[in-house]
Amino acid sequence: MDWLDRLSVAAIGTFVLVTVGMLANQEILKRRRHNPGSEAKEAGGSYALQMGADKKIYEAVNALKEQGLYAEAIAKLEGIVESYPDKSLSYVYLAEVLDKQGKLGDAIHTYRRAVEMDPDYVDERTPVFIGDDIKAAVEEGREKFGREKGLKPDDEDVKRALGDVYYLQRRLAGGCE
Amino acid sequence: MKAPRMIDISIVSGVFLGFGGVLLAYLGNPANSGICVSCFVENVAGALQLHDNMRMSYLRPELMGFVLGSFLFALVTGRFRVRGGSSPLLRFFMGFFIIVGCAVFIGCPIKMFLRLAAGDLTAVAATLGLIFGIWVGVRYIKGGFVLGGEKEMPRLQGFVVPLFAVVLLMSLLLDLSFIRLGQKGPAAMHAPLPVSLLMAMVIGALAQRSGLCVTGGIRNYILAREKTLLNGLLTAFFVAVVFSLVLGQFSLGMNAQPASHLSHGWTFLAMALVGLGSILIDGCPFRQLIKAGQGDVDAGVATLGMLIGGALVYVWFIGSSSGGPTFQGKIAVLVGLIFSIGAAMAYRKRGGNGP
Repeated sequence: MDWLDRLSVAAIGTFVLVTVGMLANQEILKRRRHNPGSEAKEAGGSYALQMGADKKIYEAVNALKEQGLYAEAIAKLEGIVESYPDKSLSYVYLAEVLDKQGKLGDAIHTYRRAVEMDPDYVDERTPVFIGDDIKAAVEEGREKFGREKGLKPDDEDVKRALGDVYYLQRRLAGGCE
Repeated sequence: MKAPRMIDISIVSGVFLGFGGVLLAYLGNPANSGICVSCFVENVAGALQLHDNMRMSYLRPELMGFVLGSFLFALVTGRFRVRGGSSPLLRFFMGFFIIVGCAVFIGCPIKMFLRLAAGDLTAVAATLGLIFGIWVGVRYIKGGFVLGGEKEMPRLQGFVVPLFAVVLLMSLLLDLSFIRLGQKGPAAMHAPLPVSLLMAMVIGALAQRSGLCVTGGIRNYILAREKTLLNGLLTAFFVAVVFSLVLGQFSLGMNAQPASHLSHGWTFLAMALVGLGSILIDGCPFRQLIKAGQGDVDAGVATLGMLIGGALVYVWFIGSSSGGPTFQGKIAVLVGLIFSIGAAMAYRKRGGNGP
């Protein structure tokens, strides 16, 4: 080892020590500031905030739905979709109302749209999980449209409905997606 | 005596791969993704903030385990040989395109086997595509394709990838600030860390010894009717079928399979790209990690290409979903095939002339 090697080793050693020291210091500071479970609370808080805001937006829709005024609820929802096109919750409400109206194919298609916009609806770890409702609609749809496919194998609407059923089944099955 | 021993170690590797793949999914990894190198590479890219999909951001200890298991076993047994310098840029881009193919199918060749073993019939088209891609690759090998140019490298270079794996593992254990771990979706689904790490290290060590590789096993059989690695693969498949049945993970069909789609034509093409690309750079994504661990610098470069691929498939919307492949994904597969075939042609030795 000549003087240049010794100098290089010393420099590397110094930089390693300084780096480890700085990282350790930062982590210690972070942990001191860190309140256990704060991230989960933060996420939960963000959901709660969102849900509070949503409650106001969908207040009228809920009222109309409870009174059985489905056509009016749909009209109201269409207005909300226009004002807030990124709100996936509109599609959840729409799917529920369409289901109540007996329009199962449209309801399933609308659930699909909601899940495509926000996969949290089929994620049990989130407070917006509605997988059980979707699963119920999907089970009903699989039976209904499976039967109809046997009777009308070339019907495009039936094909589309089955496509939506299969999509939601795959999403409900989980996996790396 | 030597050949039967190699067959044995290949079969033992297969047993652990099949068992580990099902067990890790049973213990918490995403369904049918107990082991999926491409999914895990995408997760690691997200954790390093190379893409912003929080649902796919987690430092999968399995990847570090594969590399470190291979590294330690190679070091202890004197099989740690540092070689490289064979068309590194080509290997980088091939690593990238292999991950593109995997993202369009939604899974690497190991996950393809695990999906099949769990009854997912959408993986049949993938298997056929992979075999077709390998068959095309073998045609090029027989037609004179060789990357060549590999030589001894300074020993230090062989330590870079294992060291990177150690840094990632420490970052996960210490929860360092620059690492981002998703709290929902697949990112939040993981088996207990010690189990994942230990299982991956055992599989990594065994794979280092046996040379187990999905594409390599099929290639050897097509090229020379040599069945050692293929037996390991078939063992992995049958063990995975048995444990999928035992642990209630088996569901036969096409429609309700997790993280799958019904675009069989694109699945076929995507996995043909993975098969061909893997033959050209001598190993499937799993094998690249194992080789990187045992000092193969070229495999380390391919692994970096895979990592960048794992990021860009999200940034460029290349990855498929349950709804099917995206337009970008289809284009990326086609570009990957053009690149792979072009490279295969360019590196063919015709009449004694090199590339």
